[in-house]
Amino acid sequence: MTPVLGSVSLSLATGFGILSVILLSLYIRSGDYRLFLAGRRMAIIVSALVIIATLLLVKELITSNFDVDYVAHYTSIETPTIYKFTALWAGQSGSLLFWVFILSIYSLIMIFQNRNRYHRMMPWVLCVILTVQLFFLILTNFITNPFEPTNADFVIANGLGLNPLLQNLTMAIHPPVLYLGFVGFTIPFAFTFAALLTNEKGSLWVRSIRRWSLVTWLALSCGIILGGWWAYQELGWGGYWAWDPVENASFMPWLTGTAFLHSIIIQEKKNMLRVWNTILIMLTFALTIFGTFLTRSGVMSSVHSFTESPLGPIFLAFVAIIVTVCAILVFQGLPKMKSDKHIESLTSRESGFLFNNVVFVTMCFAVFWGTIFPVISEAVRGTKITVGPPFFNQVNVPIGLLLLMLTGVGPLLAWRRTSRSNFIKYFSIPVGLALIAAIVFLLFGFRGYVVISLTLSVFVVVAIITEFKRGIQARVNRFGESSFVAFRTMVRKNRSRYGGYFVHLGIVLMFIGFTGQAFNLKKEFGLGINDREHVGDINFELKQLREEERPNHFAWIAELLVTGKDGNSITTLLPEKRIYFHRDPNPDRRQPHSELDIHTTLKGDIYSVFSSIDTDNGIAFFQIMINPLVQFVWYGGYMLVLGTLIALWPSKREKLLT
Amino acid sequence: MAPKNKIVITVTGFTLVALFWIYWVSVNPIDERAMVKFISVQEILQTEDNERVRIGGVVADGSITLSSTNKLEVAFTLKEGDSFLPVEFIGTRPDLFKNGAEVIVEGLYQEGSFHADILQTKCASRYEGDLRDASSYNLNEIEI
Repeated sequence: MTPVLGSVSLSLATGFGILSVILLSLYIRSGDYRLFLAGRRMAIIVSALVIIATLLLVKELITSNFDVDYVAHYTSIETPTIYKFTALWAGQSGSLLFWVFILSIYSLIMIFQNRNRYHRMMPWVLCVILTVQLFFLILTNFITNPFEPTNADFVIANGLGLNPLLQNLTMAIHPPVLYLGFVGFTIPFAFTFAALLTNEKGSLWVRSIRRWSLVTWLALSCGIILGGWWAYQELGWGGYWAWDPVENASFMPWLTGTAFLHSIIIQEKKNMLRVWNTILIMLTFALTIFGTFLTRSGVMSSVHSFTESPLGPIFLAFVAIIVTVCAILVFQGLPKMKSDKHIESLTSRESGFLFNNVVFVTMCFAVFWGTIFPVISEAVRGTKITVGPPFFNQVNVPIGLLLLMLTGVGPLLAWRRTSRSNFIKYFSIPVGLALIAAIVFLLFGFRGYVVISLTLSVFVVVAIITEFKRGIQARVNRFGESSFVAFRTMVRKNRSRYGGYFVHLGIVLMFIGFTGQAFNLKKEFGLGINDREHVGDINFELKQLREEERPNHFAWIAELLVTGKDGNSITTLLPEKRIYFHRDPNPDRRQPHSELDIHTTLKGDIYSVFSSIDTDNGIAFFQIMINPLVQFVWYGGYMLVLGTLIALWPSKREKLLT
Repeated sequence: MAPKNKIVITVTGFTLVALFWIYWVSVNPIDERAMVKFISVQEILQTEDNERVRIGGVVADGSITLSSTNKLEVAFTLKEGDSFLPVEFIGTRPDLFKNGAEVIVEGLYQEGSFHADILQTKCASRYEGDLRDASSYNLNEIEI
């Protein structure tokens, strides 16, 4: 019964969606306010029906109704309840439903927030959101319906179960957080689209979409970082980023979204760069749909992709329509959007933002190029080429370092123009200290990109500290406050600016972590009991091999004693080799899984993988990696979240306004 | 010069340099692993040039043989359509590597055998195979 209700909800949502678009279009033509109210009510019903359908699917997953094909494919009786729930986004049809579910929640929040505002823009905003909802509703109705019954003609005793790789808490949180980010860009896109059509000026709506974008950006950033964290903790190749098409799919909108967050400030404060911002948010939105396409269509041979499905062409057509419609609209709107103000100097905050934008978009293009190159090559030359991480690293490292530099330069530049004397005053200390640091790094024997990256990190940190110091000093001199009070008040009075600086510090921490990769060590070897092997100057000794049968798997546990070069004990690592479904009579259905063990310190991680076991001779095989400074990437992530939260926290003035 | 023109020139200049850089890296990768040709089993059996390539296929049933001295060493037959290719690999095998698994290998073809240094399995976000009727579960001998 429930699956039928679910399918019906999805069909009804589609119907109401079409009706709502028609009513809103009629309102735009006639101006009869009742039509708007009716259209908006229908939009609310659409979202409500989507939410109901999603909850029904969750119910089926939790209660293990294997008559539903999706439930039988992604869960089994043994699957723990939490992972029965997260199976909602484990498969194709479920995750598409989940996409439109999040959009529906966003839509309801947006409608409630702006119930008395933007009467001219709102019908268009709703139409855009409804169109996107309808696209996904049509997919879940006709192409991959999550409520599809199983076509087996016997009673299914048990489902296939969830991949053990996905049975991990981080993996449970990563996709929804990423989706919150992906889907969220629909709202600022809808507003920009509507503003373009209604020629809305003013900065109030710009302000509200900046907040939306910031929340969305935070979610997207967290999603990407969590994904990296999961890959590092679970996949066992010792890294957190592989430039896989699916990772690139989330990184591209992040890049354009970050550019947008910077340049929208100029539009809000100076009413400039409107055309550019419009293009950026449209690009970001198109990239989120393109990203969903990359993830879900299987066009790229990627470890994440699914097998061939009819989704590919439909998604691509949707992206093409979005790009075409946006291009036409921007082209037509050009004369109206022209600003009479221009950037006044090359050494101004405005041009700093502009450069940051150009560099972000360049990096996005480089990633895009590398991602679609295999497809282009196959279509044009007939040879399929795979583009590996070395390409992306080679092309992006210089661009990334340029961005790192701008993270420090931008905040030092004044609005409108920086006078020569101020330029020297602001830059001398950070540049001077960075040069001294560079000499020290060179003396320590570092070379190449490592020196550049660390030097720039010093420059940015010093630049940001001097910015804080200057602000604090000004308040101390003027109001006689203590430094701490001055710091607190200063941050409170300009949350977005100082929050932004904290984010910049987070980015520096991440770059330090990335730089650590230059010193990674890796070795594979086999050990019998009491045998030893070393990686760098760290020794590994196998003390014991244990066997254990647990409720849903069988495990071999290796006890590795890790000692330093003086024989001092560092830690004991316990990597495991597990077999899931070990009771399955068919050996090919049994699922081996390596459970890593990582010893973490600020200086670096010792990463151990139990690769395989030779039970006849009692030899265990390991893959050991020494990854210096990895923790800085995660600390940078925390800092980024903290900074964004500071920027997002409503100020007193905003509290009074609402 | 007007500041606006200065900015236009700088931005355009930067964009051109950046585009050239992306193009340059695409044609002159520093690492041979940056861009690798993806060819079929049939193609590699016909070519003679010793170029690094990537090949996809299925692990032929029952072809996996582990070395008796080094468990990190494995030999198997890669099957694509009706073509078969013997493959050797030393290193950590992915968990999903087994008979019938879809795999991708990268390496060099020398003297009738493919020496892979990268072995990847296609990540199955779900288990392949058909749903099955209630069957008895026995704890058989476990091997990997």
